[in-house]
Parts: sequence; structure tokens; C-alpha cells
Amino acid sequence: MPEVFSRRTLLAGAGLLAAPALIRSAHAEETFILGTWGGDYQRLQMENIEKPIASKLGIASVVDVADELPRVAKIMASRRLPRGQMDVACVQAVQAYSMAEAGVLEELTPDKVPNIAHVKAGLGMTCFAPHIWSPQILSYNPERVKSPPTSFAELADPKYKDKVGFPDVNYFYVMMAASLYASGTSTDFVKAKELLTKVNANGLHLYPSTDAGGPPFKSGEIDVGVMWLARIAMWQNAGIPVAAAFPKEGCILYVSGMVVPKNAPNKKAAFAYINAMLEPAAQIGFAEHMGYLPTVTTATLTGKVAKQLAMPDPEPKLMPPDFAVTSKALPDVTDWWKKTIQHV
Amino acid sequence: MRQKLPLAAAGLLGPATSVVVLMLAAPLALLFRDSLNRFDVTELMIETVTAANYTRFFTETFYWEVLRTTILVAATVAVLCVALGLPLAWRLARTTSRWKSLMMLLVILPLFIGSTVRTVGWMILFARNGMMDSVAGLFGTRVDLMYTTTAVIIGTLSVNLPFMVLTLQSVFEGIDDRLTEAAQGLGATPSRAFWRVVWPLALPGVMISAILSFILGMNAYATPVLLGGPRFQMMAPLVFWEFNTNSNWPFSAALAFILMATTLLLTSLSNFLVPRRYRA
Repeated sequence: MPEVFSRRTLLAGAGLLAAPALIRSAHAEETFILGTWGGDYQRLQMENIEKPIASKLGIASVVDVADELPRVAKIMASRRLPRGQMDVACVQAVQAYSMAEAGVLEELTPDKVPNIAHVKAGLGMTCFAPHIWSPQILSYNPERVKSPPTSFAELADPKYKDKVGFPDVNYFYVMMAASLYASGTSTDFVKAKELLTKVNANGLHLYPSTDAGGPPFKSGEIDVGVMWLARIAMWQNAGIPVAAAFPKEGCILYVSGMVVPKNAPNKKAAFAYINAMLEPAAQIGFAEHMGYLPTVTTATLTGKVAKQLAMPDPEPKLMPPDFAVTSKALPDVTDWWKKTIQHV
Repeated sequence: MRQKLPLAAAGLLGPATSVVVLMLAAPLALLFRDSLNRFDVTELMIETVTAANYTRFFTETFYWEVLRTTILVAATVAVLCVALGLPLAWRLARTTSRWKSLMMLLVILPLFIGSTVRTVGWMILFARNGMMDSVAGLFGTRVDLMYTTTAVIIGTLSVNLPFMVLTLQSVFEGIDDRLTEAAQGLGATPSRAFWRVVWPLALPGVMISAILSFILGMNAYATPVLLGGPRFQMMAPLVFWEFNTNSNWPFSAALAFILMATTLLLTSLSNFLVPRRYRA
């Protein structure tokens, strides 16, 4: 068989074919893997962090869209590999704490992420950069409820029989809110279970997603519930008759942010992205479009969003979850919720 | 040449068998291995060999009730599928109308839409102040089907029925119409001809269609979650809950295996529902 191409010719040809890709990669943006939720959150990340700030730093995300727990599981499962599958992972503070406990997260210090120095007290952790936060409040329909509810215990009041409801996905935060009323702490799940059992007996409606929790206020199915202040602002903007009432016992805080696994392939880009996320403009963008409060002292809200998200005077007790307890209690509470509250 | 045949057959079967083994058996083996592991809050899964996940299922009433609900819904849907699909499939198989293709298209049209999207349509119909509720309101009553067992059964039925009709239609097409004519020629009424001649011949096919619907019902996920709501418990959503919400992969793997085993067992037992002489 005659030799059509010599080995040298083949190698030269392959080199020529690969040249455009090699030349392009030298000039292209540096990519990193961003593990995040889809939908509005991802869109707003692109519009408020990546396009206006991060892209100017020469970094671009390759998005890995998934729910939070599969994302956490992926990081945990690959923690012993030298090269991980994610550079930045978006997670709630509760999950970040558990992952930090397991030793899989990179510390985020001001020399790596300069803007971390501006994070508000009580929101961040050594390995966690908070992105958004919102207090958990009592939601009510102002057209039908003339005197707003003042405490979590009112959800068990017979005057709201069959008119109480909230998204099932928030069950753990609801348990903490019940604990806060019953004990003054966020971790007394024995008392929380007692109170939630009464609320359930009062005809509690559970909805399969956060979005599904808004329309029942409009249809008249429910009059009161528990929700994030951020979501109330979104629902109000969508024309749903709903308002926020701050419970007198205080509010549990929902805090969500970003972490960098220790084995992240591109930590430099990850730190740069997280720093961009903490820029005031990015923070204000999220507040305006999603109703979550900025996590840095350098971002100040103005106008309509400032009014919608304003804290009452005097400011209520704002309580972040006690992560050391919650991460351990989560499986038991989840099991109890499944078998007691969800199970008719 | 004859001696080379087994080798040739092996060569033909080899690739497909390898794909099945790789894509089905290997993940199942991994899943089974996971089901014997132990869950830990921090580590998520600790490698060990324990039957604790299976024991947990069989010793707690809650899980038995979820399995019972799953079987009841799947069986109800299968029976309704037979009841509704049989006349439709029979009519489609026997019609000589020039609209037959169009009728077939109408039957399979719902399969053009993803089951989740279809379920969202049902949600609009069933929701409070939704279409059904609004129409009922005109007559001074309310129809609040959302988050009920009825809603789940209707939703699952709508997913499974086209499969049932398509399968039964091909079964009836395979039964020679001259057999009915012969029976009628020997004095049988049309209904007697159907029940004494067509039905026994179709029974194995009907059973396979019902099993298909049953299996789909046992594994239904989107419909129970969206139309049943958080309080409606079926096995597939429970597997996902344990996997996704609780991160308990070992127990979730055990649940998946129990669901598979139950489905296989009931499917095997259903064979006995067909009299021996009619079995395929």
C-alpha cells in the first residue's frame, strides 16, 4: 500500500488545523465553572455581575445549572479529586457551613477577595461570601386582613382557619421561625414542632414551589403566610395583593452566597467573580430586580426599592440561623416534616 | 458456513448487549451498592455494607402507606386506561374511514408535548379560579381539584392513555376480522363474537398495555408533584425528596430499588390474571 501521507505531513496538517483554536484560546476570556440556580437568578447574575463587571476583568462563566443540593453533593463527591468540577458554587449559608465543616471550601480573605472586607456583620463566614439576604416575615393580604398579624403564633389562630399557607420548600426556615417565637432561639425544634403541628391543624396549605405561594393570596385561597421580604416585593410588583408584617419576636434571615471549593480548577477567576458580585452596582441590581438586600456596607438602596425593603423603626431582631445546630438538625427536621406535616 | 453462524450471531448481538450492560446494568449495580451505604450529615455517604436503609423502609408505616398510594394510583390509572382505551382502540382498528390517519394523529398528539408542560395545562384547568372553577362558579358551585388524588389520577391518565390506545390498536389490527364474521356466521351476536373470539385473542395484548400503563403510573413523577402538591406522597417523588432535599443517597437508592422490585413483582404476578389457555 503506497504511503499517501507521511507521519511528518500528518503532524504538520494537524498543527495547522489546531492553530486557530490555539491562537483563539490565547486571546479568549478566561473561563470558570459557575454552579448556580437557573431562571431569574442566573439571568440577573449575567446582567448584573458578569456582563457589566466580570467580563471587563477578562473572565467568563461556563454555567452549571442545578438545584442547590445536587450542586453540594457534586462538590462533596469530588472533594478528594485533585481537580474539582466547579470554581464558584452558589449555596445558602446553611449549606456553606456544612461544607466548610467538611473542609472542602477555600477560605475567602480580603487579599483574595478585596470586597469581602465590606460584608455586613453577621452575614458572612470564613469560607462563604454572602450575595443576597432577606428577613423572613409574615405575609398577609391587606385587602382581607385589616389588622396585620404580629407573631408567628397567629398562624394557629382559628380566625385564620384554612387561610394559612406557604411554599413547602421553605419548611426549615419556617421551623426556625416557629422556634424563635416559642423559645427566643432559632434552634428549639421540639417547641417548633409543637407550634407547627397546631398551625397544620389550622388548615395549613402547602405549595410545591416558592412561585406557587403568591397566586393563592390573589385567588383568596389564603390570607396569611410566611415568606421572605424579597419575595413580597416581587409579588407586589406582579400585582398580587400581599404585604409584609414583621413579627414581634424577630426575623430569621435567609442568606445565600457563593463558595469556592478547595479543588476548584480556576480559583483566580473564582475570586475575581466573587469580588465582582460584591461590587455595589451588582448588589443594587439584585435588590432592584429580585428584592434581596445588599450584603455589603458600600451598597445603598434608593427610591422605590428602598421603601419596599425598608426595615420598620425600631428595627426588629434579625437572627441568622445558628449554623452549627441547623446543619446537624436538618435531617431529623426534614424527616419529621415529611411524615408529620406533609402527610395527611 | 453453518458452523460460523453462532459466531456471526454473537457478533451481531454483542454491541447491543454491551450497550445494555453498560447503560443499564452497571448503573443499577452502582445504585444497589449505594443503597447498602450509610448516610452521614457531613460526609453524605459512608461506604459500608448495611441493610439499614431497607429495614427502615419495611419497619415504618409511613413508607408502606406511600407504596400503597403509589400502587393504588397506578392500578386505578391502568384500569381506567383499559376501560377508556379499549373502545377507542377497537374503533380505530376497525374503521375504514379516510379520516383514520387524522384520528390516529389526534390520539398521539398529546405525546408531542412533554408531560410537565401537559401537567401545567391541567394546573390551569384545576386551579382555584382556574377554568373549571370559573365555569362551576357560573352554576353557584366550586370545583377545587388542585392538590387532590383525583387530579393526579386524571393527569396520569392523560399521559398513559395514548400509549394504551396505540398498543391496543395494533393488537386489534392483528386479529383477523374474518374470525368475527365467521363467529357471526355461526349464529353469534356481535357482542358474543367479540367476547368469545376477539377478547380472548386480545387478552395478552390488553394485559401488556395495562402493564405498560401500570409501570408508567408507578414511576410517575411530574404529575404527582405538580397536581398532587407536597402533601400527596408517591414513591418517585419520595425518591427525589430523599435524594435532593435530604441528600440521603443511600436511602434514596434503597427506595429506588424497592420501587423497581415492587413494579417487577406486581408485573410478574399480573400474568396470572390471564387464564393459562389465553396466555401468549
